[in-house]
Amino acid sequence: MSLAADAPAGRLRAAVDPPRRRTLRQLLRVWGHRLLIWTLAFAFVAFSLLPLAWGVSTALKTKEAVYAFPPVWIPSPATLENFAAVFANPALFSSFLNTLVIALATTAIALVVGVLGAYGFSRYRFPGRDTLLWSLLFTKLFPRVVVIVPFFVTLRWLDLMNTYPGLVLVYLMAIFPVAIWMLKGFFDNIPIEIEEAAIMDGCSLPQLLWLVVIPISRPALAAVAMYSFIIAWNEFLFALVFTNGLSRRPLSVALAFFIDENGIRWGELMAASIVMSLPALVVFSIAQKMLVRGLSEGAVKG
Amino acid sequence: MSLSRATPGRLGGGAPREADLPLRQSWRARWREWGPGYMLVAPAVVLILLMMLYPVLQTLYFSVSRVQLPSFRTTFVGLDNFARILSSPDTLPLAQRTLVWVAGIVVFRISLGLAAALVFNARVPGTVWLRALVILPWTIPSVVGANLWRWIFQTDSGVLNQSLRAWGLESWALNWLGSPDTAMLAVIVAYGWAGFPFVMLLILARLQGVPQELYEAARIDGANAWQLFRYITLPSLKSVLVVALILEIVSGLNSFDTLVIMTGGGPAKATQIWGLEIYKTGFGAFNLGVASALSVLMFIAVLVVFVFYGAASRAAQRQRREGLA
Repeated sequence: MSLAADAPAGRLRAAVDPPRRRTLRQLLRVWGHRLLIWTLAFAFVAFSLLPLAWGVSTALKTKEAVYAFPPVWIPSPATLENFAAVFANPALFSSFLNTLVIALATTAIALVVGVLGAYGFSRYRFPGRDTLLWSLLFTKLFPRVVVIVPFFVTLRWLDLMNTYPGLVLVYLMAIFPVAIWMLKGFFDNIPIEIEEAAIMDGCSLPQLLWLVVIPISRPALAAVAMYSFIIAWNEFLFALVFTNGLSRRPLSVALAFFIDENGIRWGELMAASIVMSLPALVVFSIAQKMLVRGLSEGAVKG
Repeated sequence: MSLSRATPGRLGGGAPREADLPLRQSWRARWREWGPGYMLVAPAVVLILLMMLYPVLQTLYFSVSRVQLPSFRTTFVGLDNFARILSSPDTLPLAQRTLVWVAGIVVFRISLGLAAALVFNARVPGTVWLRALVILPWTIPSVVGANLWRWIFQTDSGVLNQSLRAWGLESWALNWLGSPDTAMLAVIVAYGWAGFPFVMLLILARLQGVPQELYEAARIDGANAWQLFRYITLPSLKSVLVVALILEIVSGLNSFDTLVIMTGGGPAKATQIWGLEIYKTGFGAFNLGVASALSVLMFIAVLVVFVFYGAASRAAQRQRREGLA
């Protein structure tokens, strides 16, 4: 309130007084502060970006240029031969498809379980509800390395080792608690009156979910879908333990053991890494906005 | 709260409320009130049972058994597996390495994340898009980050050593991942790099909620930059720092991808931590009994962290409430 009242007065004063009135000392201090912050900010950017830039540079180099001394940052001539080799590699292509299938299936199931569970926890009270909510939270913090042995036994027992359903099942463990928590937070903020009106009109529960709740929650569903997709896309430990051979191997495992008889072809490995990173980069740049919108818009929109 | 408590009755199509029901209400009435809720959460409950309860029980059971493969026939052996772990000369160094790793990760990520958050919270023009660039390492898949750093740290052809040689610092060009003295440091740098932007975002979100009036008032009272940080910024970050600490401890204990890809736990077990030991005992040596006992021990450690987390967050809440009162 006070800020809003001060601002016009400040602007007025600045318009009346010539800017020269600022003393040299003040100017020095402001610019000294800015210079310091810029320097530090650039240092952080360099630390974050230089490794990535080196990876991109490697991916664009010819086989010989990769090992040049002293190191060359800007490849000349730049080449796409590494990318071509990656796309022509049948093993990498099949692992790419595996990752895609698993990530999409996991996302779809996580959304279904998430919507139902979150709605149940948000709108209903029943014995055992709090215990279940705590268990969810605990499942979220559960260390994955601890569960690989029991999961291995389970998948063997269900005869799901090295299959898509088996992988989707174990991936869900890392995803569904977060999906439920995120959606529950969103549903808690939707005014109940809309649903009551729908019930008055004779909506059944499935109709209510499908025709009222899901359309309102689209931003939150998008955020959850993106989160699930990325976690499944990046998953490595479960993929490593519960697949064997090439048939169901996802991209993460394929890249981790990207070695052939000639050793590691770094150019190709970096090109494949860039391809694998793209969905994550796209999703992160969209999802940040989605998350904010999902959280702020939901309550008002109905 | 009261609004949503009233909902089940309304959503249940006019079923009487809990309080109005006679003590021995019929099953039908109960079902009408609770049934839809149970049906909705049923898939989640199945997953919780399958993904949390069952694994815990199975691990506990295996940890006191000898498991024969491939039939999974189990023989009860009491605490033999635990005795074997505790009497092994490898266990103490394993625990020490795990501690060094977790402490290294926590210190690296939180100090860098805090520093970066302070820099990008200074509201200096031109730093907003720089912030977007700093976040990038956190967004790429862990497998990609690990391979990237493995390539950078290569002894002969890695860009780090090649640059050092080009600058005439030949003696600094070490065998980073191949020598037991430097391997731990190298993997901590790689894993810290991938995670510090997340800590930065956590802290930034909190910093933006600190009222600017506090700083202005303190500045008028003649406080210098350090005092502003020490007496305003740091206290308001206390709860978020605790959250970051817990999350990073769990993340450190849980980490697997980076270590397996960069060093595989080597050289000479220099980067072998508890989680990798579980994996190697279970799926390298196929000793599921000992692997389960190792899991139980680690599980206890995580449980302690979880309890500590609960206590810390409750303390933070109390502090906030008292601060408001």
